[in-house]
Amino acid sequence: MADAAAGAAPFGDGELVARAAQGDERAIGRLYDRYGAVLYAVAYRIVGQRADAEEVVLETLAQAWREASRFEAGRGSVAGWLTMMARSRALDLVRSRSRRDRITAMAAADRPGASPAMGEVRPDPSGALEHEERRRQVRQALDTLSPPQRRAIELAYFEGLSQSEIAERLQEPLGTVKTRVRLGMQKLRECLRPFYFERGT
Amino acid sequence: MTGPAADSPQDLTAAYALGALPPEEARRFEAFLATSAEARREVEEYREVAALLALAGAEPGSEAGPTLRDRVLARVADEKRRSPAGPVRPVATPRQSSAVWVALAASLLLALGLGAGLASARGRLAAVEAELAGRQAALARSQQQLAERQATLDAILEPGVQMFQLTSSGDPEPGIQLFWDRQRQLAIVHGYRLKPVPAGKAYQLWFIRDGAPVPSVTFKPGAAGGATVEAIPVPEGGAISAAAVTVEPEAGSAQPTSPIVMVGPLKRS
Repeated sequence: MADAAAGAAPFGDGELVARAAQGDERAIGRLYDRYGAVLYAVAYRIVGQRADAEEVVLETLAQAWREASRFEAGRGSVAGWLTMMARSRALDLVRSRSRRDRITAMAAADRPGASPAMGEVRPDPSGALEHEERRRQVRQALDTLSPPQRRAIELAYFEGLSQSEIAERLQEPLGTVKTRVRLGMQKLRECLRPFYFERGT
Repeated sequence: MTGPAADSPQDLTAAYALGALPPEEARRFEAFLATSAEARREVEEYREVAALLALAGAEPGSEAGPTLRDRVLARVADEKRRSPAGPVRPVATPRQSSAVWVALAASLLLALGLGAGLASARGRLAAVEAELAGRQAALARSQQQLAERQATLDAILEPGVQMFQLTSSGDPEPGIQLFWDRQRQLAIVHGYRLKPVPAGKAYQLWFIRDGAPVPSVTFKPGAAGGATVEAIPVPEGGAISAAAVTVEPEAGSAQPTSPIVMVGPLKRS
């Protein structure tokens, strides 16, 4: 009934995305408050430095703004949608950077713009607390994996390697890598099921 | 040891969600995915696992700079200016007005009801109209609720408003979202899936100021467990550390008389 639809659900991520789709840019600010830290975390881990990681977050939220109406509520969480965009943008950046670096043969000098952290961030405080608890759970879950399982999953997620590339990198048979990815992800799913981000609906 | 000649599609679900399939293999898997609702559900679930892995990426001391939020908003404002029509919108399907339906139903019934059937057709038409009136009333009610919810959402999107979550221990539901507008020292409380309260009782909100409960509003959940209270004054003077909810007599209490059912910290960012 109407009450169930409008009255008894939390104000959620899905509503923020719907708002953005209607042209309300404040919703993007609120999504940043909730997930900016998560997006920055994955971007930083992939690109390895601050200025590029911030660029990835910026581009991800701009993309979320443009594509808000294409977000399908019920097909997964807003957080999952955003992190997937951030991950692939970050991997694109690293790939184009390595091409660029090969061309210019630049040394691994620190790049301009990567100033040290200063000042304070202003994340949504409840979001920050929630993320802290989730982060702890994710680390614990990763600790339950065997080191080779964990390595395979991290290489896939943070370095964007396919299973064959992982096998090549680790000098392991492809079948072994596939089994590690599958069993490792199964285990993570069991551990993390209660901690998924809010669903999009 | 050698791998199997071919993986069964099910074996590839986790790798696909993780982005660990090469493009051509991913395309083959997507063809399978189109045929299996169960595999789609599984991919969605593994994507949630992958989203959580993002958090594991955080390294101590790696935080976005303080200007990033403003840069994000400036960028979005810029995109909005450049394409004033706003983001891509789905095409709205025009709804047939109900008056048209009444007319159609009437003409159809009249056509069918030639001669002796006319009287019973009129009876059926009256039933259709009554049913329609009932549905229109329900629609008006839900539109009203939706409009109220939109208005509340508008208020909580204001800059400077922060959200806090009050939860009941060991139970993910019910929950209360508390939105604190620090500029105006007002709060909005939005409860969902709240349990009903006994007759003569209501939920009461408490702000914990300097370690002591300060009484605030009382509210009762609607039929589906929803409750929204706006423009709640936040007590001034002293440090507000948390908000809590107890069940009290309808008129409210000066001091809590029952155990806390929901609580959440209100920490300053």
